[in-house]
Amino acid sequence: MFWRMVTRALLRQRSKRLLIALTVALGVSLSTAILSVMLDVGDKVNAELKTYGANIVIRPKGVAAVDDLYGQLETPAAQAMLAEADLGKIKTIFWAFNITDFAPFLEAKVSLRPEGAAEAVPVPAVGTWIAKELALPTGEDAIAGMRSMRSWWDVQGAWIADTDADTVMVGKTLAAEQGISVGDRVNLTYSGRSINARVAGIVDSGGAEDGQVIVPLTMLQRLIDKPGAVGRVEVSALTTPDNELARRAAKDPSSLSAQDWETWYCTAYVSAISYQIEEVIEGSVAKPVRQVAESEGLILEKTQLLMLLITALSLIGTALGIANLITASVMERAPEVGLMKALGATDRSVVGLVLTEIVLVGSLGGVLGYLAGLGLAQIIGASVFGSTIAFTPIVIPIVSVLVLGVILIGSIPSIRLLLSLRPAEVLHGR
Amino acid sequence: MAVENSGASRRRMYVRMVLRSLSRRRSRVVIALLAIAIGATTLTGLISIYTDIPRQMGRELRSYGANLVVIPDGKPVIDANVLPALDAAVGDGDGDLVGRAAYRYETVTINSQPVSAAGTDLDDVRAVRPYWQVSGAWPQAGEILVGRDVADQLGLATGESVTLAWSAGKKQGSDSDSTDEFTVSGVLDTGGSEDALVILERAGLEGLTGEVGAIDVVEYSVATSADQMSAIVTRITESTPGVAASPVKRLARSETTVLATLSSLLLLVTVIVLALTMITVATTMMAVVAERRAEIGLRKALGAENRSIIGEFLGEGMALGALGGLAGGIAGLGFAQVVSLNVFSRGIATDWTLVPIAVLASVAVTAVACIVPVRRAAYIEPAIVLRGE
Amino acid sequence: MNLLELRGVTKSYGDVHALRDVDLCVEPGEWLSIVGPSGSGKSTMMNIVGCMDSPTAGSVVLDGVDIASMNASGLAHARRNTIGLIFQKFHLVAHLSAVENVMVAQYYHSMPDQAEALAALARVGLGERASHLPSQLSGGEQQRVCIARALINYPKLVLADEPTGNLDEANELLVLDFFRQLHADGTTLIVVTHDPEVAALGDRQIVLNHGRIVRQIDNRANARVPVALTPPGGLS
Repeated sequence: MFWRMVTRALLRQRSKRLLIALTVALGVSLSTAILSVMLDVGDKVNAELKTYGANIVIRPKGVAAVDDLYGQLETPAAQAMLAEADLGKIKTIFWAFNITDFAPFLEAKVSLRPEGAAEAVPVPAVGTWIAKELALPTGEDAIAGMRSMRSWWDVQGAWIADTDADTVMVGKTLAAEQGISVGDRVNLTYSGRSINARVAGIVDSGGAEDGQVIVPLTMLQRLIDKPGAVGRVEVSALTTPDNELARRAAKDPSSLSAQDWETWYCTAYVSAISYQIEEVIEGSVAKPVRQVAESEGLILEKTQLLMLLITALSLIGTALGIANLITASVMERAPEVGLMKALGATDRSVVGLVLTEIVLVGSLGGVLGYLAGLGLAQIIGASVFGSTIAFTPIVIPIVSVLVLGVILIGSIPSIRLLLSLRPAEVLHGR
Repeated sequence: MAVENSGASRRRMYVRMVLRSLSRRRSRVVIALLAIAIGATTLTGLISIYTDIPRQMGRELRSYGANLVVIPDGKPVIDANVLPALDAAVGDGDGDLVGRAAYRYETVTINSQPVSAAGTDLDDVRAVRPYWQVSGAWPQAGEILVGRDVADQLGLATGESVTLAWSAGKKQGSDSDSTDEFTVSGVLDTGGSEDALVILERAGLEGLTGEVGAIDVVEYSVATSADQMSAIVTRITESTPGVAASPVKRLARSETTVLATLSSLLLLVTVIVLALTMITVATTMMAVVAERRAEIGLRKALGAENRSIIGEFLGEGMALGALGGLAGGIAGLGFAQVVSLNVFSRGIATDWTLVPIAVLASVAVTAVACIVPVRRAAYIEPAIVLRGE
Repeated sequence: MNLLELRGVTKSYGDVHALRDVDLCVEPGEWLSIVGPSGSGKSTMMNIVGCMDSPTAGSVVLDGVDIASMNASGLAHARRNTIGLIFQKFHLVAHLSAVENVMVAQYYHSMPDQAEALAALARVGLGERASHLPSQLSGGEQQRVCIARALINYPKLVLADEPTGNLDEANELLVLDFFRQLHADGTTLIVVTHDPEVAALGDRQIVLNHGRIVRQIDNRANARVPVALTPPGGLS
C-alpha cells in the first residue's frame, strides 16, 4: 500500500516532481564537475609547471664546484662521475610514475675552431641526451632529454639526434661571436683528440647555453675519453608541496619516527623522491632545485586553495538551492498532509511517505546530474588542460552525502511544521 | 469616481498588491530571495576572481626569480650610475616591479683555490630570489655567504674566518694582490648554480678589488604581461645606451603558459557555475510562482486580463530580483575578497560596477522565470485552475 | 427580456458529455436554484454561465450579448462587468486583507475605492474586520467577504456555487439571509446547491442529471410539475 501511494504520488503532478528532479540534477552536476576538477587540478597544474624545467639535480658525491651559469667551468679531470648506465634506474624508484623527464649532462671546456677560421677559442661544451629512447629495467619504454626539458629553446635549423656522430648545436651568442651559421663545419679539440662536426642548429635559449656548444652525450664522452660518464643529471618530477614533515625529513631523514618516515617516503615530496634517487644511483647526491621546487610548491598550494574556495562556494550554493526548493515543495503539500493526519496516519508514516518520495525523485535527478557533471568535468579538462580529468570515485560519496543531507535538512523541519498544524486548518487551506 | 484619478488610484493599488505579496508571504519571499542572492553572489564573486586572480597569480610566479636581465652591450661593464635610469624605464608603465638586483662577478681565491665571488646588494637579492635558503644569517658588512658546494669543497662553516684574495694581475696594467678577511655568516643552499658562489655586499667586493661602480648583470623581477615586457625592453634600449635587455625566455614562456591555463580554467568554471546557478534560480522562481496558480485563476475569475496578471507577477519578480541581486552582488564581492586574502594574503581591487550588473542579471532571470509559469497559468481557463483543488 | 438565455447548450470533453442540449431562461430579479448530484453537470453549467468556460455547441446570451463564441478577452470583460462570483471554497487571496480582497475586484473592473469597499464589508457585517487576513477570519466571515467582493461592482447576475457548503448552521443562516436581501433588492441570483432546503428558497429550481435538465420546480407557484417528461425545450 505504501508503495502504491508513493508511485501514485510520483506519477501525478509530474511537472512539480520534474522541477525537483531538475534542480537536484543541476546541483549535483555542478558539484560533481567542480569537485572532480578540484581533486585533479593539483596534478594538472603540476604537469603545466614542468615547463619551468628540472626540480631535482643529481650530482656525484664529493664533486668539485661546477659553475655553469656565468661562464666558468672546471676541467672534469679531477671530478667524480656518475654512470650513464645507472640512469635508467631512476624510473624504478617508488615514485617512478612521477618522474616525467630527466637528462644527463657532461661538461668540458673544449677548443672550437670554425672551419676556415685561423684561431681556436676555448668554449664550454655540453654533452647531453636530446630525445633518448630508453628500454627500462621494468620493461617499459621511455623518452628522456633536452627536447622536452628545455621547452623554451628556439632552434634555428634542426635539433641534433642522440645517435649523431658528428653534428652539434651552437648557442646563438657564440655563433654570432664566431660568425657561425647553420650548416657550417667546426672542429672541436680536447686534449689531442679532435672531431669535425656540422652545425645542425643554432640555439636561442635565453640562458647560459647561448654561449655553449651542445653535442650528443656519446660524442663528448668520446672526445674527452670518459666513456659512460655523466657529470650531473637534471630530473623533472611531479611533487607534493612541502609541509612541516617534509621539511624535517629534508634536513635529516633519520630524525623521523618509523611511522613518519613511512609517511614521508610514500608521499611525493621532493625530498622523498631525491632520497629514493640517491638509493638507486650509486655515489650520487640528489638535491631539490629550490628555485623551481619552492615556487611550484607555492603555486600549487595557492591554485588548490583557490579551487577549494570556489568549490566551497559552489557546494554551498547548490545545497542552499536544493534545500530551498525542497522546503517550498514540502510546504505545498500541506493539504495532503492534513488529510492523511485527519485520516489517522501517524506522524512517522507521513514523514516516511513524503521523505521517500522526495528521496526517490532526488535520487533520479542525482544520478542524471552526476553523469552530466562527469561530462562537464571532461569538457573543462579537455579545454583547459588538453587531458582527461581523472575519475575520482570519492566524488560519489561526497555528492551523495551532500544531496541526501540537504534533502533531509530541507524537508524534515518543514514536514514537522506541517505535522504540528491542526488538520482542520490545513484541510481548509489557511 | 473621477476618471482622472482612476489611473493614479490603480497604480497605487498595483503597488499595494505587490508590496503585500512580498511582505505577507514571508517564507516564500525568503526562499526566492535566497535563491536569487545565491545566483548574484556567484556572478560577482566568480567574475571578480576571474578578472583579478590571474594578475595575483602572476605576482606569485615572481618567486621563480628574475624574468628580465640587463647586460652590457658594446662595453665591458654597466656603470652603476645608469641604475636609476634603468629602474625608471622598468618601473614606468603598469607592471609591478618586485625587485632589482645588480651583480658584479670576480674570481677570488680562498686558500689558494679559485672561487667565483658575486658582489651584490643583499637586501635587493632577497626580493628577486626569494627561494634562497640560508642556514645561518645573511651577511652584513665584513661577512660573506658561502654556497653549499663551496662550503663542502673548502670545508667552510658558519662563523669561520676566511681570507679572500684578489689578484689584479688578471687585469691589464695593475700588478698588486689584495686580501680581505671575512666571516662566514651562513651557507646558501639552492640546488642551483648559486651554490658554487661566494656572495657578499658589493661594497665589500669593491673594497677588495678597488674597482667601484662596475656592474656585470642587472636582473629585474617584474610582474607584467608579455606585451608590457616588450615595451620595457624597448624603453631600456632607447633610454640607456651601452646595455642590452632581454626577458628570461624560460620564465617568460612558462609564465605565459601557466597563467593562460589558469585563466581559461577560471573562465570555464565561471561560465559553468554561473549557467547552472542561474538555471537553478529560474527553476526555484518558477516553482514559487507556479504554486500560486489558484490565485491566478481567482484573479482571472474576477475578470482580470492576462496582461494585467503577468504585469503584477512581473512587478513582484523584478522587485525580488533587484533586492536579491543587490544583496547577493555585494556578498559576492566580499567572497572574492575573502578568497584573495586567504590565497594571496593580499586584497583584491573591488570592482563595484559588478553590483549593478548582478542586479540587472538577477532582474532579467527572475523576470523570465516569473513570466513562464504565469503565462502558462493565465492562459488556462480559470475554471480548470479553480476546480483543480 | 431574459437576463440569461441558454439554447441547445452542449459541453463535451471527448466522449464525455457534461451538458447535453440544455435550454434555460432566467428573468431579471429571479432567484434560480440548480440542484443535482455530483457529476450532473451543475459545475459545468456554472462555469459556462460564469463566463469561465465556453460551450461546445449552443448559444449563451447574457444581458443581450452572446458569450458562447467570445474570446478570452471578451469573457474577461463580461466577468468584470456583469457577473459576481461566489465560490464554495472562498478563494480569497491569502496575503491580502479583507478590504484589499474586495478592492481587487474593483481594481480589475474600473478603479479601487477603499471607502466603497469598506462600506461593502460593513453591509455584510464585517466592518470591524476589514484589515484582517483570511487566515484570521472564520469560514463564515470569509464567505461574507466573498459576497461583499461579488457585489462591489453592482453585477447584474450573482452566481453562487455551494455558498453554504462549508459553513456551520449559524453562518449558513446569515448568508442565506443576505441572499434574501439581495433578492428583495432585485438582484438576479443563480445558486447551485445540493441542499434541498437551500434550493427551496429560490423562486425556481431546476434539477440536473447526466447533463440534462430533468425537472423544474416553480416554488412561487408552489406547484410541482410532474416527474420526468419535461419537453426538450424546457419550461420558461
